[in-house]
Amino acid sequence: MTSMVKQRWTVSGVRNRLRRMTWRGQRIDWSGYILVAPFLTLFVLFNAIALLFGLYLSCNEWEVVGRPEWVGLANFREILADDLAREAFLNTFRYVLVIAPGVTIVAFVLALFVHQQWPGHIVSRAAFFSPVVCAPTAVGLIWVWMLDTQFGLINQYLGRLGIPPVPWLTSPDWSWLGVSLMSVWWDTGFSFVLFLAALQDVPAELREAAQVDGATRWQVVWNIILPLLRPVTSMVITLQVIATLRIFSQISVMTQGGPAGSSMSAIMYLYSYGLSRYRFGYASAVAVLLLLATLLITLVNRWLVKEKV
Amino acid sequence: MFEKNLSRREFLRKAAVTGAGLALAGCAPKVVKETVVVEKEVEKTVEKVVTATPAMIEPTEVLHWNWLSASDAEVWQSVIDDFNDANENTQIRMELVPDAEWATKVMPAVAAGVGPDFGWAAPAAGLEPDFVDKGILVPLDDLAHDVGLDMDDFAEGPLNVCRYAAFDNKLYGIPLDVMTMALEINADHAQEAGLDIENPPQTGEELLEWADAMTVREGDKVVRSGMLMGPSIQNTVVWGIVSGQMGYKRVSDDLKTACVNPEAGKEAMQWIYDLYEKHKVSTLEVTDRYKAFGVGQGSMFITGPWTVSGYLEAGVNYISIHVPKIGKEQKTYLEVGSLGLYTQPDTSRYATTMQAVKWLSDNSFKWTTEGRGAAARKSVLSRADYQTSGLPWAQRGAFVDEKALEMATIPIGYGLTEGGFDFIIYAGENYLAQTLDSVWYGEKSIDEAMDLICQKYQEHLDAAA
Repeated sequence: MTSMVKQRWTVSGVRNRLRRMTWRGQRIDWSGYILVAPFLTLFVLFNAIALLFGLYLSCNEWEVVGRPEWVGLANFREILADDLAREAFLNTFRYVLVIAPGVTIVAFVLALFVHQQWPGHIVSRAAFFSPVVCAPTAVGLIWVWMLDTQFGLINQYLGRLGIPPVPWLTSPDWSWLGVSLMSVWWDTGFSFVLFLAALQDVPAELREAAQVDGATRWQVVWNIILPLLRPVTSMVITLQVIATLRIFSQISVMTQGGPAGSSMSAIMYLYSYGLSRYRFGYASAVAVLLLLATLLITLVNRWLVKEKV
Repeated sequence: MFEKNLSRREFLRKAAVTGAGLALAGCAPKVVKETVVVEKEVEKTVEKVVTATPAMIEPTEVLHWNWLSASDAEVWQSVIDDFNDANENTQIRMELVPDAEWATKVMPAVAAGVGPDFGWAAPAAGLEPDFVDKGILVPLDDLAHDVGLDMDDFAEGPLNVCRYAAFDNKLYGIPLDVMTMALEINADHAQEAGLDIENPPQTGEELLEWADAMTVREGDKVVRSGMLMGPSIQNTVVWGIVSGQMGYKRVSDDLKTACVNPEAGKEAMQWIYDLYEKHKVSTLEVTDRYKAFGVGQGSMFITGPWTVSGYLEAGVNYISIHVPKIGKEQKTYLEVGSLGLYTQPDTSRYATTMQAVKWLSDNSFKWTTEGRGAAARKSVLSRADYQTSGLPWAQRGAFVDEKALEMATIPIGYGLTEGGFDFIIYAGENYLAQTLDSVWYGEKSIDEAMDLICQKYQEHLDAAA
């Protein structure tokens, strides 16, 4: 008996037991788990635990030094009562409505341009992707100069078309649009690559057959290419919506959330009114609300833009 | 060549062995290295004990975090270099932490025991009650006495700003400079407009006349501001100064009542709003006010002494004068720059750090003549060459002379333990600036904005009580 117990807990004994373990009638293949273990460990440590800590912190007041003090839902009540917080969240949703479709459409058009191998497509391939690798601070500062009301490049060109100068960053009506413009330019590269890869999977025979049947270019795009690209379009929209809900660096560099809070985003509000004032509990509460909004919007988005062709 | 099929069991066995081997390979050399380092340090220490002379002892390194930028940073770097040249036993290692990141970096670093030994108060002296409350800053009364710092040599005003009444009136900073705001006037623009630069504006009416004369418009649109305003932070600080001159106070002297004389605050809002809408001498379409004045997009600019050096280097032909008397009293903005010591796990470092701060204070002549601000030390102010050294007095004088220091009674903010950031007038992101912005852009009325500001202020004061 003793020898049987001993045998059970030896290396070979444990190995045998693991090998014989089953889940729903099937033997468990432990090699997969071993291979994902490194990633899983880091994910649990730096993502899952951090998320749980953030959820816990959102119900506390904590100023870095000392222990968190439990306050229940007080932080959430304070956020919902703050006009500026409400404005920040509404601005964020407005950014999503402009930037996500903007990036999707522009990325698709650019990918089509490169895929069709129109003149300049070789250089364009690198040029369209390059904004993605630029630091947001540098990009933001350049766009501040470009969007300057009196001396900015964009107003100079608009002036040549007879359009009066637009106060891109100095008017509450236009500041969020100026930020959106920069964001579309900056974010398009990654989606462009996704669309370009997907376009290369569209069977050439389908396009050729349609052209033989007399379809115009636009009809080919609308009736053949776009439906086949539905899965990647859905993914691009989802990723862009999530990224836009977290918009921060460009606002911080370009407008600091002004003027009059008109370009403030939820994360900018979290940084200015939470982290910078050492209110980590309050900042966590803002983050939790943003997480819930992100989940809800993503679910709605996935339901509206189904992946199946 | 031979082929071998690798079974799953064999693969897992080899993977486990390889992983274990890598882990051991990663660990082992470290242990060996540490042993080597420890042995070398022991050897060094033994050598030091046997053969040491004072010159062979390693200097103590004091870590200094600094958020200064542009020309201020250059002058401050040279001051630190002077210290390091003059002091063999102590060396200051300076690291730049941008002011935008200061709030989120310092407290966590000090709390984790890896913070700097000393740094500039941010945003200014007397505005870090959070740090004092959390024990991040070290009280300096005893340390200053121990190192022989002559406290009687400090001007009373700046020294009082560095004390926190809510914390037993203890001293938490050593004032290094006193900053006021003055009016810079582009001399070329004045000449173009036929104005006498030798007789600059002294009152609010004269200021508006000069602004009108120097403004360039295209139809109804201001393309060159006679009175440079915008963005948020500029509007807010000018409102702070004008409202102070008109008799408004953000907080009562006992720090219990918000908005003393709110009508004066509203009058100041109207005065600024009229710059844009009625007199049309300013435009809201300014994204970078420093650049705007530097390239001639604005003719007059209320700003601080930190601009003097930069504009001189850029070749701007300008003078600076005291802020005109726009309200009932001719007052201006007051900000004190100070150095504070941060809590360290090893408290024996405080003495050395305080010696370094004492040296910087005793030798603040260079900083306050070539850098920014007026000296906080009477002995420096009274030096015969104080006006003739460093930056030209024609540009520097209005910020730092006796009259400027007498006028400087409008504090940048208050050292409140609750919501202090919202009281700061030199800010573009706080509640005050956001609410004032809504007035300039016509989103809220002046009455509504003042009510909101007063309500928020009173909430903070009640919470702090």
